Amino acid sequence: MDNQQDNVTNRRSFLSNLSTSFGGLALGSLLARDGLSADPAAASPQFAPRAKNVIWLFMVGGTSHVESFDPKPALNKYAGKSIGDTPYKDVLTSPFLKNERDFFDNLERKKRTIIFPMQVGFRKRGESGLDVSDWWRHVGDCADDLSVVRSVWTEDIDHGAQLQFHTGRHRNDGFFPTIGSWVSYGLGTLNGNLPEFIVLGKPPADCCGGQEAHRANYLGPQYDGIPLNVDPRNATPYIAPEQGVFVEEQQGQLDLLQQLNGMTSARYPDDSAIRARIRAYELAFKMQMAVPEVVDLASETQQIQELYGINRPTTKPYARQLLTARRLVERGVRFVQVYHGSNGGAGGWDSHGKLKVNHTRMCQQVDQPIGALLKDLKQRGLLDETLVVWATEFGRTPGSQNGDGRDHHPFGFSVWMAGGGIKGGVAHGATDELGFHAVEHRHYVTDIHATVLKQLGLDPRQLAVPGRKRLERDFGNPIQQIIA
Amino acid sequence: MRGWLFSCLMIGLAGQVVAADGVEYQRDIKPLFAEKCGVCHGALNQEAGLRLDAGVLIRKGSTDGPVIVPGKAAESLLITRVTAKDIDERMPPDGDGAALNAKEVALLSAWIDSGAVVPADEVIPADPRQHWAYQRPQRPPVPAVEDSNWSHPIDAFISREHRRLGLTPVETADRHALLRRVYFDLIGLPPTRKQLQAYLQDESPAAWQNVVDSLLDSPQYGERWGRHWMDVWRYSDWNGFKQQLRGSQRHIWHWRDWIVQSLNDDKGYDRMIVEMLAADEETPNDTSALPATGFLARNYHKSNRNIWLDATVEHTAKAFLGMTLNCARCHDHKFDPIAQTTYYQFRAIFEPHNVRTDRVPGQPNVMKDGLPRAYDADLTAKTFLYLQGDDKRPDKDHPMTPAVPAVLGGKFDVQPIALTIETYYPALAASVEKRQVAAARRQLTAAQKALAAAIKQSDGKPDSSGANPTAIQTLELKRTVAELRLKSLVARFAADRRKFTGGETADDVKQRNQLAQAASAAERQLKLRQAELVLSQKQAAVKAAASSSEKDKKKKQTAMAAARKELATAQKALKTAQAASKKSGSNYTPVGKQYPRTSSGRRLALARWIANDKNPLTARVAVNHIWLRHFGEPLVDNVFDFGLRSAKPRHVELLDWLAVELMKHEWSMKHIHRLIVMSRTWQLASSTGRIANPSAEKDRDNHYLWRMNVRRLDAEIIRDNVLAVSGQLDKTLGGADINYLEGETTRRRSIYLRHAYEKQMTMLVLFDAPSPNDCYRRSESIVPQQALALTNSSLALGQSRLLARQLWQEASADKSPQPRFVRAAFLQILSRPPADEELAACQQFLTTQAATFFDTSKLTTFVGGAAPVVKPATDPQQRSRENLIQVLMNHNDFVTVR
Repeated sequence: MDNQQDNVTNRRSFLSNLSTSFGGLALGSLLARDGLSADPAAASPQFAPRAKNVIWLFMVGGTSHVESFDPKPALNKYAGKSIGDTPYKDVLTSPFLKNERDFFDNLERKKRTIIFPMQVGFRKRGESGLDVSDWWRHVGDCADDLSVVRSVWTEDIDHGAQLQFHTGRHRNDGFFPTIGSWVSYGLGTLNGNLPEFIVLGKPPADCCGGQEAHRANYLGPQYDGIPLNVDPRNATPYIAPEQGVFVEEQQGQLDLLQQLNGMTSARYPDDSAIRARIRAYELAFKMQMAVPEVVDLASETQQIQELYGINRPTTKPYARQLLTARRLVERGVRFVQVYHGSNGGAGGWDSHGKLKVNHTRMCQQVDQPIGALLKDLKQRGLLDETLVVWATEFGRTPGSQNGDGRDHHPFGFSVWMAGGGIKGGVAHGATDELGFHAVEHRHYVTDIHATVLKQLGLDPRQLAVPGRKRLERDFGNPIQQIIA
Repeated sequence: MRGWLFSCLMIGLAGQVVAADGVEYQRDIKPLFAEKCGVCHGALNQEAGLRLDAGVLIRKGSTDGPVIVPGKAAESLLITRVTAKDIDERMPPDGDGAALNAKEVALLSAWIDSGAVVPADEVIPADPRQHWAYQRPQRPPVPAVEDSNWSHPIDAFISREHRRLGLTPVETADRHALLRRVYFDLIGLPPTRKQLQAYLQDESPAAWQNVVDSLLDSPQYGERWGRHWMDVWRYSDWNGFKQQLRGSQRHIWHWRDWIVQSLNDDKGYDRMIVEMLAADEETPNDTSALPATGFLARNYHKSNRNIWLDATVEHTAKAFLGMTLNCARCHDHKFDPIAQTTYYQFRAIFEPHNVRTDRVPGQPNVMKDGLPRAYDADLTAKTFLYLQGDDKRPDKDHPMTPAVPAVLGGKFDVQPIALTIETYYPALAASVEKRQVAAARRQLTAAQKALAAAIKQSDGKPDSSGANPTAIQTLELKRTVAELRLKSLVARFAADRRKFTGGETADDVKQRNQLAQAASAAERQLKLRQAELVLSQKQAAVKAAASSSEKDKKKKQTAMAAARKELATAQKALKTAQAASKKSGSNYTPVGKQYPRTSSGRRLALARWIANDKNPLTARVAVNHIWLRHFGEPLVDNVFDFGLRSAKPRHVELLDWLAVELMKHEWSMKHIHRLIVMSRTWQLASSTGRIANPSAEKDRDNHYLWRMNVRRLDAEIIRDNVLAVSGQLDKTLGGADINYLEGETTRRRSIYLRHAYEKQMTMLVLFDAPSPNDCYRRSESIVPQQALALTNSSLALGQSRLLARQLWQEASADKSPQPRFVRAAFLQILSRPPADEELAACQQFLTTQAATFFDTSKLTTFVGGAAPVVKPATDPQQRSRENLIQVLMNHNDFVTVR
């Protein structure tokens, strides 16, 4: 802890040495988030944080809410009937439909009106009795740690919603800073050896936002999520030199480089960029050691590896990512974003047909690792300070498509959070009886963002960059009811 | 729908009370008027003579009388109107904004009830049309200067400010730094040691001028500044998913080469604008100018024409005019005098245009190469205003006529342009027919030769193979097909040519019909013989399948069935062809695609309006971009928005002087570069050094240029610099884009690496390479990934090893080789000699580092990493020298221009 304090102090004195002549905005914000600037727009924690880190799990393609965390017995009761012939026919004329920007274009395609029954059973889990489907058994083990928000809605009926879930803006509006980059911008790092915002897994395809789903856009590239591969041999671009270079060799080079740059810096005391570059070289050198170490899971016990499912081919890829995520937050990385299911197209969760087969398979890949992550964090006492978010771009239609699938459904779907000062065993908000519209405690995606920021001690309204107007809805509102 | 929404909001208005206490005009009322009423009741528009943008004017009221009764909200017309239930009565009117909500009405009422107090010192906003940037720049007199060191016009303007503010400029930079600076500024490459030496030794007064002239004459100038303008003009290579084109165009590099070439030729900036927007209209047959329309072709967007045209409107306005026209897509511009209709009128200029790929000589396959270009495809295309920018709600009752923003004045004169046949029917260009006929002839000759050879080989003996048709019969048929193909081609060309160029007399028409019939007949004959040929091939295939040595019975049967099926198809096709051959007619396949015979002339009118001495923005925006790239900071902060949000800049006279200078010198950019780098201002040192300069306190941000700004090199230039200092740079100009994945191995300049969405070299991206989508101004980040790139990449490691070899070869003969090596390395890599302390540190390093390698078995290797492209030296001494070279390539000053 002392050591960490030292790091912070050094970093601050280092930053305060930088004059304003360099890189106006980028440096200004660096200073701002370290509380060194008098800029009133500067971000600084507004209240005591409840969480230090975030692990953000995103299912690419659209996970069915009515087969995961939001059971709808009415679907079974009216299975095969047209929605118009049920007592719930009003859902088809609800004004909420207008929130979807392209809905009218796709009216026929999107109104899947023949009710499709739930493809999996639900049971009440934990002491709280939270409803969790049987495809999510391991996550269900942790029901008493979850707050399920059943009333999330978004605007995009297509997979651009993947981007929208991270920026809070419709795909057609362009690219904006993502939630992870705001956290990074607002808080900075706890570990000088690693970047503060790290991305694992394959990002969404270009159609749906691509890399922009973890970029910082106008905040500047230093706040972009840094993709890491869980492969220790190739964790990030240029992380290792060509074969045959020795650590001692580079250490010698770094020493000379810092010495020479120091001399230049002394010659030009008014040039702040040199000092920033000296720091960048230090972090880079340390990253070369720290990054391969953190993605190397060999030091984890057999028991832990099996808990996550590393020993089984189905769960192995995601298990490795989540175990790495835990190791990253353990080492102080602020925001770890883990994508699952990206496949160069719409995403693996997209189940227009054969939903049962598809979701069974997808859940088998992630359920055990996610359950393990929650259990592992808890047993280490890390769950108190680590906020885990599970999300997807939209849910799936109550009506059937192709006889055995469900279509895209932005009008109401589920997201859950755990740890980091979030209540356990809670189902917050509700969709209507068919799971069509979010009707109780409706939350647009930025409410999820606002909740994350609040738990970290940040007020989204304080996060701003001069000249970059944020819309009212960009800020969202923290979901007070799920905060412990 | 909005009406419905409003009436819902109005319910429950009465009875709600907001405390009247503390309502304040500046805080509560003025912004409300600005948001709700500003567009129609402000400085620009005064509906009913009413202005609501200043207190005294609000109290004055409209031409019909007062709108408020101070102290009595209930009796105030203003309140009546904003709360009117009748949609025709209500303000703001339906379609011009949402009604005031209860809280807002309460605020307004409270303010009136409390006496409608306004501050006495409130300034009445000026007419936005009077905005500085909308007035034509006049050449201001160059200020008088006493110090002859500051007599250059740029210096005279800057120096006046120094004197006014009591700033003391620093001295000019030393000659090493200056030479390096001018090399990077003008050609984006460092001087060689020889060039450095020559300059240092040149004591003549013309030494600097000579350097500047030679750099501006160098072809690398066009590459350096080409990349800058490619940022502004949004250059992007084609992007897509696998082979599917989704954005920009294949072979758009022709446009890149046009940019580089035009800059090297010092083509006037006005010409460049005209060619980029309308070369196809102004010089439709000039294939050296057509690539310029890549500026438009680049906006192609597969999935959505609106996105395509929105980008065209937005970026044409931003790049050339510094206007944020795009802000008026959904509503009138919030700040600038640009109505929503202006946006769609501007779009109408582009509505007819589309993109096509013309063939280039010698390459019939346009997937391999071709010229992507703009042309007017649909002259009847209509433009509709989208209500609130929603493309689902076009205002079909009022089609837009093309127009430019009126606030800028000038003449926008649209004249339709008649195109010649080689443009609207490119296949009828003489060269195309010649090439195609020649190719058909070659095919015929080959068929004839094959037949003759077979006959000779058979030596007149009959075919005993039992094949039917015999091999020779097949070759005869092939020859016949080739003959007919040639004949048909010639006939189709003749018919098409007559169709498009012939007169209209009875004779002409008769002849035209005859030619068409001949082409038709020839084509039908060809098809018949082709069908026969296919049939004979399918027959052979059936026999081959039956007699094949395939052991698997099932497989054999499947193959035979497939062959028989194809045979049946061929038989059917032959029957069709036979039937057709017996008929007569005049239908034939045209030899190429026909495009409209006229172009709307809209884009040419636009181009001439932009590239015009009378346009107040064009030259200012251009010189501001040039200034930015010489000084690291622009004269007008927001380089793409010279609208009302851009207050009059500090150096407005200098900006205007430069803008007029550009226009008066045939829009020559080289003239502006020369002016800038010849100025003392540009030549100042970038640091005060160890002695503090009091100016640093007065003008911390160096707004008044009492010193030069320190700049980081652009991404592409950092990579080029690595190759340049190692002596490996390949200076070949132009050509197709190079796969970005080859960035570490190709030795070409970075401008030639593929640059498109998701297709950019990682190293360049790490160093803030421009987004292909838009980048009017680059950012300069300093992040650890950049350090990793220059430390660990094959490029940096390999090139430093090569350079170490070369420098040691030179130095080793010297009697004190080590210091000589270090000196040469500094000069080569940083364009300056080492200071004593640096020399000492490097020599010390060479010794200790070499010792590190004496027993490599004790050393730790890194995990991962690719096999080395250039292997490290085995000799510990040489390896330490390689290490030193790489350290200098990672030196702060390697990526910095001081």
